[in-house]
This record gives sequence, structure tokens and C-alpha cells, in this order.
Amino acid sequence: MIIVYIITGILILVSLVIQSHSSLDVIRIFGVKPDFVFIIVVYTGYSFGSITGQVTGFVSGLFHDAVSNSPYGFLALPKLTVGFIVGLLGRAVLKNNVPTIIILMLVSTLVKGIITLLLSYIFAQGMISGIIDVIIPEALYNAILAPPLFFLFDKIFRGELEREGYL
Amino acid sequence: MEFFERHKSIVIFISLTLFCIISLSVHGSRITLTTEGMMSAVISPFQKLYDYVFGGAKIWVGSSEYDRVKNELVLTRAKLQTFESTYEEISEIKKENDRLKSLLGMKELLKYDSIVADVISKDPDNWYRTLMVNRGKDDGIMVNMPVVAYQSSINDNTKTLIKGVVGKVVEVRGSISRIQPLIAPEIKIGVKIGENKFPGLLSGYSHNSNLCVVNYITRAAPVKFDDIVTTSGQAGVFPPDLIIGKVIKSEVLESSPYQRAIVKPFMDYNLIDEVFIIKKAPNKDLFELFGEIQ
Repeated sequence: MIIVYIITGILILVSLVIQSHSSLDVIRIFGVKPDFVFIIVVYTGYSFGSITGQVTGFVSGLFHDAVSNSPYGFLALPKLTVGFIVGLLGRAVLKNNVPTIIILMLVSTLVKGIITLLLSYIFAQGMISGIIDVIIPEALYNAILAPPLFFLFDKIFRGELEREGYL
Repeated sequence: MEFFERHKSIVIFISLTLFCIISLSVHGSRITLTTEGMMSAVISPFQKLYDYVFGGAKIWVGSSEYDRVKNELVLTRAKLQTFESTYEEISEIKKENDRLKSLLGMKELLKYDSIVADVISKDPDNWYRTLMVNRGKDDGIMVNMPVVAYQSSINDNTKTLIKGVVGKVVEVRGSISRIQPLIAPEIKIGVKIGENKFPGLLSGYSHNSNLCVVNYITRAAPVKFDDIVTTSGQAGVFPPDLIIGKVIKSEVLESSPYQRAIVKPFMDYNLIDEVFIIKKAPNKDLFELFGEIQ
């Protein structure tokens, strides 16, 4: 399992650096860019269970908070929660096919967005208007990118998935 | 103990959730900021390295682009020489202008030093629109310093260089700073609109657009398309008369005693990769006054 955490850590670090680079503005659609870090969190929850999912979500969220202008925990809590919930269902419940992955990512991003809105409401971050501006476009964008990225991650984590009996 | 072992996943989830909630609750405390700084310190070297490598790769791949830029540089230098030759003429006009201003009893505008900074990263999340630059406390940068940039614009087949407001510094660390741009919905800047200089309050239009909105403009103000929006200089952060953008639409709401204007900033957020931080310390008296009011 330690290998999963090491590879996931590297993937998150690389994704975070790429995601925050100014060149990624060219791939903005409707003003939003995909959240690669979140896609990794959903994948780890989906493939390796709720503990791995939530730990990945928590740690990546903290790093996300550190490089973003958000208060500490603001982006970590939604990722942690989604990682946990997706991990409870996992591959045992959700079949590994393109429509399932698209729907999983769509719903996960919407849940993440709703939790973020709730936190912004509770902790007065003033972002209530963001549901149409940010959440829906990001959910669609992540959902479109999820199948090829999940396929890629399946290749990267092939050994571990075989050990778990999913491949 | 057996309970924890059996429900390990839920126990971890509750613990981590509590950590996040406590952290959010004590947001702004010294401990939180210190930890955040440590996490950022882990990421920022990678961001700087990526920016460096990416910049190098761009030069290597686009050698033709490099030649074009080089040619442009030669032309720009030639233009600069032309401008320098007109310096004498301008200084004469300036003297005359200063004399007229003093006659009109206008206050002399203050001139400030500025420092150039490269944008090393942008906010990775869609909820925030901040920029990270490679200048920080070590370079004398302070929170609330105004940030401007230059961007070329083509009007009637002539290329002109426009200086416009980018935003303000909201966070400073050792060698990096965070800038909140004009398009961030959280920013609030006092502005003046049009020839008659009607006042208003500018902020970002939404999280996913590159536009701004100016609120609290009196209904009597004749706000029209292409009106120039400039800083008012009244809040103690921005010097007055820095160009922000142009009005593209004005809206009069039935339910509001004011009108509002949608503004397109001169600086394109997506194209900004070099900025100038104006070394102007915020007006302490005004900030103390705002603090007392709050």
C-alpha cells in the first residue's frame, strides 16, 4: 500500500504544479479549468477504498489550500469527504466502465462543490453565487476528462490493482 | 479499542473533518498561517522549477518565435530612442502642465518606485483568481501594494503599450507574494468613471469571467460604452488615475437607487506573466480609520 501512497503523492504534486501554472489558462472552458488533483482523489477512493481515498483527499486538499488563497481546510474538507464516500462504494459497487466513471465524476464534483458552498456560507467566504459559474462547468469538465485519466491511472497502478483482485 | 479497529475508516474521517473545521474556525491565527507557509514552502520550489523549465522549453521549441520577439525588441529599442528624443519636448510640456496644475490648486501626484516581478503560478482552484509572483518580503514588498502591468494593444493598425492596474498584493512571504487581481469577486477598489469622474466601487464580476463590475454609481451619472475607468485613490491603496479598463455595458436596476457598469479590464488576466509592484505603502491613517469603523 505504501507504493500507492508514494505514486499518488507524486501524481498530486505534479498535478498541483501543472494546475497552478499560468499556461493552463489556455484550456479554460467557460472560465474554469479541470481539477486534476480531485480526479486523483476520486480515483484513489474508487480503487483503494475509503481510508486511502480520504487520506489522499485530506493531504492533497491541504496542499491545495497552501498554494491557493483559501483558508486552511477549506479545500481539504470537500476532498476528504468525497474521497471517503467514493471509497465506501468503490469498485465493488461501481463497475469500471466509461458511463459509470463519467457519472461518478460528475456527481463527485457536484458534491464537492456543494460542500464548498456550505463551508463558504458557514465561514463567510462570500462565494454563494458560484454554483452556476464554477460548480457545473467544472463537474462537466472533470467528467469528460475522467475516463482517459482513469484508464491512465489503471496502467500506473496495475500491480496494486492486480493484488487487490480488480484486474 | 476493538471499536476503533472495526470502524477505523469512520474514526479517521471524523478526526480529519474535525481538524479541518477547527482550522477553518481559527483561520487567521498565527498557527494556521505558519503551517500554511510551511506547506506552501514545499510547493513553491516546484512551481518555480516548473516555471523555469517550462520557460526554457518554450524558448527551445519556439526558436522562430524567439526570432520574432528579438526583431520586436530591436524595433522597440528604436522606438524607445525616438521617445527619448522627444523627452525634452515632453519635459517642457510637463513643466507647463505642472505650473497650470499648481495654478488650479491641484495636488501634485506622487511618483513611486516599482519592482518588476514574474508570475510563477496562478491559483490552482476555480474558486479563487490569485497570482503568485517571485518577489516577496525580501524585496521590500508589503501587503496592499498596488500592482500594474504593461500590455500591447493594436488600435487602427498601430501598436500601443498600455499600462493598467492588475490588482493588489494580499499576501507576502520571503521570496513570493500573492496578488489579488481586479477580476476577483473579493476585491474592492474605489474608482472613477468617464469624463465626469463619477465614483463607484469596483470588484470582479464572477468567478469564471474576466470582467469587473462597478457598483454604487449614482443614477444621474451618464455612463456610456467605452468610458474609461480609473482608480480614485481615495482608499489609500492605489494612487489616483491609474487606468483600469473600459465600460462595456451599464445597467440600471429597478430595485436599486444606483446603477452599475460592467467593465472590461485593459489587462487580460490570461496573458499576464510579468507585473510591476508599485512600492507605495498603504495609507496607515485611512486603514486605522477603517479598522475603527469595522
